[in-house]
Amino acid sequence: MARRPAAPPEDPAVRARFERDALPLLPNLYGAALRLTRDPQDAEDLVQEAFLRAYRGFSGFQEGTNLRAWMYRILTNTFINAYRKKQREPVTIHDDQIEDWYLYDRLGEAGVEASAESEVLEKIPDEDVQRALEELPENFRMAVLLADVEGFSYKEIAEILGIPIGTVMSRLHRGRKALQKALWETVRERGLVTDRLP
Amino acid sequence: MSPIDCLEALKQIELYLDGELHGTLRAEIEEHLGACGPCTDHSEFQRRLKDLLRAKCGCHHVPPELAERVRSLFADPPVA
Repeated sequence: MARRPAAPPEDPAVRARFERDALPLLPNLYGAALRLTRDPQDAEDLVQEAFLRAYRGFSGFQEGTNLRAWMYRILTNTFINAYRKKQREPVTIHDDQIEDWYLYDRLGEAGVEASAESEVLEKIPDEDVQRALEELPENFRMAVLLADVEGFSYKEIAEILGIPIGTVMSRLHRGRKALQKALWETVRERGLVTDRLP
Repeated sequence: MSPIDCLEALKQIELYLDGELHGTLRAEIEEHLGACGPCTDHSEFQRRLKDLLRAKCGCHHVPPELAERVRSLFADPPVA
């Protein structure tokens, strides 16, 4: 059976509303898809599939509720269902040895003054930040992405990912610690600080 | 208002920066940060880390073909 592109809502007003409200979210959704799939072609496919699903379900979406969160929920569900199977990766992080304030403390030990720390952070190349994010296990990566890049509240993230708020908090905390460790490794490898340790 | 110490403030900074603290607790953290240089340094550092991710995640460049394909999913059908 030939499949029409989107089995669109018949009502042109609904279509117009989707174009007006959902389409502007494309850049953010594509960015999230890139970091989730870690592959530009997969990211494009994922975004396209998510928009298709959203469009099909849009007549059931209640205007005035949280469209952004609704779209991200569709994106992450599509990702989990379609792409997770393709990827073999660790599902947790071993952060027993990563204390809170890991990066702050390492920079301090290396003799970087608090006032100069932001300069060091600024020097980290974009692709290293992206890689550090992509290296997080998926559950942690999604939480950090939704909170820090997209600015969702804990409650919204809980709804998007279908997990309790306590789990959101734990994933954010642990994900950020692992990120700090990865960023510190970058800082050292790139020679962005002179290590003063004996 | 009961004062909070540095240990407690540092524990709450993540929630504070995520905008998840409200009411009295938020006010207490703000009061503490206003008076404590080291905790302010920690807080500023954590905030910059959040900003760093947002600024450097490379998230906002959409290939033009993708934009076109997504748009075509629900474009007006061609007029016969």
